[in-house]
Amino acid sequence: MLERRLIIVTGKGGVGRSAVSAALALRAVHLGKRVLTVAMTDQTGLALHLGRERLDYEAREIRPGLHALAIHRPAALNEYLKVQLGVPKVTRMGPIARAFDALASTAPGIREVVTMGKVLWEVRREAWDLVIADGPPLGQIGSHLRAPQTVTELVPVGKVREQADWMIDLLADPSASTMLLVTLAEELPVTETQEALTWLQEHHVIGAPLVAANRILPALQATGKQIKEAGPGPVQEAASMHQTLHEEQQKWIAELPPDVQLPFLFGLLTPPEVAARLADVWGEE
Amino acid sequence: MGKTTLSAALAVTAARSGVRTLVVTIDPARRLATALGLKDLGSEPSPHKDEPNLWAAMLDASASWKAIAHRHAPADVADRLVDNPFFEAATQHFPASQSYASAEEMANYVETRAWDLVVIDTPPSAGGIEFFSAPAEMRDLVGGRLLRWLTGGALPGRRAIFTLTARPALRIAGAALGSDLFERVAEFLMDMRTMYDGLARRAVQMEQHFRQARTVVVTTADPAPLREAARFYRELPEMVPDPDSVVFNRVLPVTWYHPKPPTDGPLVENLARWGAEAHRQTEVRKEFAALWKTEVATVPWRPKTPTTLDDLAALIEAAAGLPLERLGVVPE
Repeated sequence: MLERRLIIVTGKGGVGRSAVSAALALRAVHLGKRVLTVAMTDQTGLALHLGRERLDYEAREIRPGLHALAIHRPAALNEYLKVQLGVPKVTRMGPIARAFDALASTAPGIREVVTMGKVLWEVRREAWDLVIADGPPLGQIGSHLRAPQTVTELVPVGKVREQADWMIDLLADPSASTMLLVTLAEELPVTETQEALTWLQEHHVIGAPLVAANRILPALQATGKQIKEAGPGPVQEAASMHQTLHEEQQKWIAELPPDVQLPFLFGLLTPPEVAARLADVWGEE
Repeated sequence: MGKTTLSAALAVTAARSGVRTLVVTIDPARRLATALGLKDLGSEPSPHKDEPNLWAAMLDASASWKAIAHRHAPADVADRLVDNPFFEAATQHFPASQSYASAEEMANYVETRAWDLVVIDTPPSAGGIEFFSAPAEMRDLVGGRLLRWLTGGALPGRRAIFTLTARPALRIAGAALGSDLFERVAEFLMDMRTMYDGLARRAVQMEQHFRQARTVVVTTADPAPLREAARFYRELPEMVPDPDSVVFNRVLPVTWYHPKPPTDGPLVENLARWGAEAHRQTEVRKEFAALWKTEVATVPWRPKTPTTLDDLAALIEAAAGLPLERLGVVPE
């Protein structure tokens, strides 16, 4: 997977999307790649896992080999107009800028094309070996991936159309772009991941996606007999809790099944520590 | 986080203590939806077959917005709006549009006075806080600077025309893009503008409902949901009272923690790691309560998701610190 040029990481809210994005970036840097991580919609999650308070729209070096930026919409819209559409500066100010803003928030696809466009533009620039996007939540992934198509359906000719065309090609190129769906081994996230996988299969907008199951418990190294013998009390309670959770998780894992399993991390860890631990696990897999 | 599950659990408890209750959910897990007697998105409130005081409904933002257009715009404009290809996109993409639809449904349900208690599972965007700012945001969007610039002063119930500065700007912008997309969007926005008076009036009414509502914030001890819970203390609009309860979900027993756990075989080591997790949770709860000067409630971690009405009621029974009377879940 790390041989591609773009990985978009998505998942239902709260499954650890930003942690996994940061871990993946750390792993790729460890393998000697020049990596850019991009926070597409959530401004804080990725920053915290990289040990920063916030990220700027300009790519900043986090550590050797690793850069990060966050997409701020007004800046992204301005760059899209300037770099991609070649709109002269005078038209990007005053009343006309406001008109652009109205267009961007009302016409279907434009808002997402501006965000996706920034990510794909960074891939196209070839300043990085790999771009890892901490993507929108699962519920918005379809509208983002399909945004360039939506725009071409709306605008038959012109510059917006031309820009959308190369975006479609770059996303759909399986050797360049892929997706990582992060999930928990629980009913709701698994169901939504399955729905997303079906949608992706039907739409062919991006190369074959991978699935990572996060916060997976190891099997308990004890028999039912041993648990019974422990007698009532915390030891037994924790053991049966662990066992039931483990069984439930295995049931949902069997439904998927995921390409990667990431461990449940016990106890007090800071977000950068979580990212570092997950990156190590990734290396072992 | 368990927001949907907890909303359902509170509703079941209320219904069982004789309170006529409606729960409005968003995207429940299939088994939970089945337990509540819900089948499809957009389900109208329907009485539960086994629980006489329990009613459930599911929000369909797209259908709500169509109703909103018909409520606030003149009939011919409403028809045109709903048929416009931009309508679906705009009502999905305007910031806070799903939250607005949800708040408007809340107001409609409360005003019918058919229920003693209406439990709203708020849309997840911006951690649920957007629900409370949505009415004002929507009013400002439709009556805001941008639309005023496009169309000039408001003409109640009438469709406006482009202002003199707007038309040439749209032409230039359109030329830059090489399409007439702009003018089509502007025409659409002018139709939206006719809803301004209705939306503004409704926003005031919704905010009155917020003032009287009880708020329960659901979180876990994980950093991301905690950040969102803290927003209810930092960013809640002034007219909304502070949360009545902050509920920590998936709580482990404090008795599992031992400061110096023995290392003696896999079972004891297993307790030690869960104990460490329980301890972390306790510390996080204390810190949150001290920082925001609030009481916190706890709901124990159940390894199996509650899927029946009995499971849901049991969840509230096992909870600690929930102000059930103040929330109107149990009659005073």
